[in-house]
Amino acid sequence: MSCHGILDKTIQKVDVTVALAGNPNVGKSTLFNLLTGLQAVTANYPGKTVDLNLGVAKYGGKRIGVIDLPGTYSLDPTSEDQWVARRAILEERPDLVVAVLDASNLQRNLYQTLQLIELEFPVVIALNLIDHAEKIGIRTDYQKLSKLLGVPVIPMVASKGKGIQELLECLTNKATTTPAKRSTAFDLCLERAIHRTEEAIKSDLHETPYGLSTRALAIRMLENDPEFTKLVRQEVRGSRDVELTEELSKSIESEYHEPASLVFARQRHELARQTTEAVQVRARQPPLLSQKLTHYAVSPYTGIPLAVGVIGGIFAFMLVAGGFLGDMTSFLWANFASPSIRLVVTTAAGKGVVSRVLLWGFDAGIFGALSVGIPYVLTFYLVLSLLEDSGYLNSVAYLADTMMHKIGLHGRSIIPMIMGFGCNVPAIMGTRVLTTRRERILACTLITLTPCSARIAVIMAAVGVFAGWQYAVAIFGIDLLVIGAIGWSLNKLLPGKASGLVMEMFAFRRPRASTILKRTWFRFKSFMLLALPLVTMGSIALGAFYETGYLQILLAPVNPIMYALLGLPAVASITLVVGILRKELTLQLLIALAVMQYGPSASNLLLFMRPLQLFVFGLVVTLYFPCIATMSVLGRELGRKSTLAIMTSTIALAMLIGALAYRTLPAFGILS
Amino acid sequence: MISHVLEEYLEAIWRLQERTRPVKTGELAQQLQITPGAVTNTLTHLEKHKLIVRKPYRGITLTDKGRAMALRVIRKHRLAERLLTEVLQMDWSRVHNAACELEHAMTDEMLGPLEKTLKEPTTCPHGNPIPDESGRLHEEKSEPLSDFKPKDKTVLVKITDEKPDVLRYLASLGLMPGATVEVQEKAPFEGPIIVKVMGATYALGRNVASVVQARKL
Repeated sequence: MSCHGILDKTIQKVDVTVALAGNPNVGKSTLFNLLTGLQAVTANYPGKTVDLNLGVAKYGGKRIGVIDLPGTYSLDPTSEDQWVARRAILEERPDLVVAVLDASNLQRNLYQTLQLIELEFPVVIALNLIDHAEKIGIRTDYQKLSKLLGVPVIPMVASKGKGIQELLECLTNKATTTPAKRSTAFDLCLERAIHRTEEAIKSDLHETPYGLSTRALAIRMLENDPEFTKLVRQEVRGSRDVELTEELSKSIESEYHEPASLVFARQRHELARQTTEAVQVRARQPPLLSQKLTHYAVSPYTGIPLAVGVIGGIFAFMLVAGGFLGDMTSFLWANFASPSIRLVVTTAAGKGVVSRVLLWGFDAGIFGALSVGIPYVLTFYLVLSLLEDSGYLNSVAYLADTMMHKIGLHGRSIIPMIMGFGCNVPAIMGTRVLTTRRERILACTLITLTPCSARIAVIMAAVGVFAGWQYAVAIFGIDLLVIGAIGWSLNKLLPGKASGLVMEMFAFRRPRASTILKRTWFRFKSFMLLALPLVTMGSIALGAFYETGYLQILLAPVNPIMYALLGLPAVASITLVVGILRKELTLQLLIALAVMQYGPSASNLLLFMRPLQLFVFGLVVTLYFPCIATMSVLGRELGRKSTLAIMTSTIALAMLIGALAYRTLPAFGILS
Repeated sequence: MISHVLEEYLEAIWRLQERTRPVKTGELAQQLQITPGAVTNTLTHLEKHKLIVRKPYRGITLTDKGRAMALRVIRKHRLAERLLTEVLQMDWSRVHNAACELEHAMTDEMLGPLEKTLKEPTTCPHGNPIPDESGRLHEEKSEPLSDFKPKDKTVLVKITDEKPDVLRYLASLGLMPGATVEVQEKAPFEGPIIVKVMGATYALGRNVASVVQARKL
């Protein structure tokens, strides 16, 4: 869904629109859920993967449209989440912005609030987590804070619903929807520059971009904000203003010996500090248990064993819970859903080709999406939400940073990378924690090469059982080497540099079941909405080719190549194509086709494939392009072009390594 | 005794010269908002006192003596600003002019007690560093943040990365010159470090930590 006028399109008839802004991890989502219940929808800007949540709150007979902005530290568009937050707030022009602040970290939190006040939005401060602040000895004078900043301040504990009535009252009260009485004041030198810029803007521009006030625009331009500078330059007499602000910025720079944008930032921070000191008293308190735990979680001697244990535990949980859910899904599908779907389809379309094609989509296809979604995506999201909410995710990222830097990534990519062993799909969606596109492409490419549970099953069953376990292990070894080598070389090849890790470390806190479950549900829902139609349509298309015999005809010229290159029998190339539906299908189909062609005894694969062929087959299945569900999320996360590039390069890679194995291994007397 | 006017000049030259380049007469006139002709007279005076050196076609540089004097004035100016905001509770945006007047009336004896009263500030209300008693800015000696040990308290001196986006992002988190940065944890093998800035805690990758220059408090 596009974001232009998102609220108009998705939510009808609201009396007032509010946006929730704030730093990450201040309880913004909790507040959003509290305000809107479960009826939220998500939207995103084209090409951007950071979502906006939209919902409606009702109070006193009024409908309040709520936009939940991504958690950011400032409104400068220096990263994708900040870009999205800023764009949404400028384009939607909410009637009111609720600045959600963490009372235990007021000074840093106020920075963004000051920026919002500068933009002359009507701001209401929801001072959240006051219980936590009091626990660590911080008390806030709310009235004084309100007086100093000229905006209403509402003390809250969103997780317990405390303060919600007052907030809703405030949101529906006309009196609060006027901009703050006073803007933030800078020092004389900056104010002079702002004033001169305002004068120029007033005489040169008919209207300001996004209808900003002249003061707000002047500040952004003096800060050399690239977006506003560009927009103003496009105006008829705008380039004059741009030149003026560039000149003024330069003189600010020579006055303060640092770039103008930093001078503004510095003065905002100072104002935030002074405000915080004026309204908060801190009592000295012994460190809390959670703070001590954070220390143990990041010190190498205790942290690394703990991380290994936790990751091992997660993996075990995903195998056990995922396996159980997978069996349940298969059982329920095979016994209830599948028969009824078959009945409906055969009643409607008979037993011909059409009906069989439809069954590819509505039986096998939907089952394919569910059998990935329920056991793996759902459990992964549950675990991810738990790790996020407790604050432990960042500790693991911190510990893994050194290792991940070798392949051009930073610590935050460790969790999605590991999850790739369960299923590539949620792993790719998990790369959203990475900030630059370069990192996302790198991480996604490496994840598609990571053997997921389906591929592990093929390797174990086809290679482990028939060729010997040591060859199964060898495939894993080769795969890990390939991942390392590809990561290393992509890091060298891709333009740009690996960005450094800059990540806030949160103190641990008790995870809240309601938050985790809601977040898991939202993510799972958005995955299913994406994957279900794509996998179903893809399956119907593939089924049509297969059932009409065109697939075999199309593949006929490929077969000799496959044989010459990889030494694989003709049936193998069909299974590889069908395997894009779900990778474990390669093995099932290989057995089925072999039985059709060579009779029942062919279920012992060794009767028609040599161990070497099985090894090559396992290797190719592990490396060649991802399944249809993975492709659809890749397409959404990275766009069509990058997805196509990843697909073709992994196919080429699989062929190359398969061919290499086929040629060289017998020469060393290994396999035959 | 040097006059107020000369002090103003030295201060202005220092501000302009800080980027290690000689100052042009025109620039100085603009900074002081007077005509270039009027500037020349005073400059001759300053040169006679061996406070500046003038080279034709290159411009004006401060001598060591001139620089020390300029920094003393800057120190007074910035302490005066602190006094006005912290003690007299004056509005932040109004203190610059008042401080310009005050700086010349402050005697050296006042500064020690004033610093004590203000709890030894390291920066002016706008965040610029206050030179110390011997007229030195601490900026000269600094080492990468990654070279400090856990529990070290440091003051951020400069960030040697030139990309404005990086600077701006770090600045929005409070990682900017003058900020107090406490190192909390340090991972082995060139791993990241954890620092505390303005009450918030961040993990910084080693490549980020190595472009952040700081000095020990």
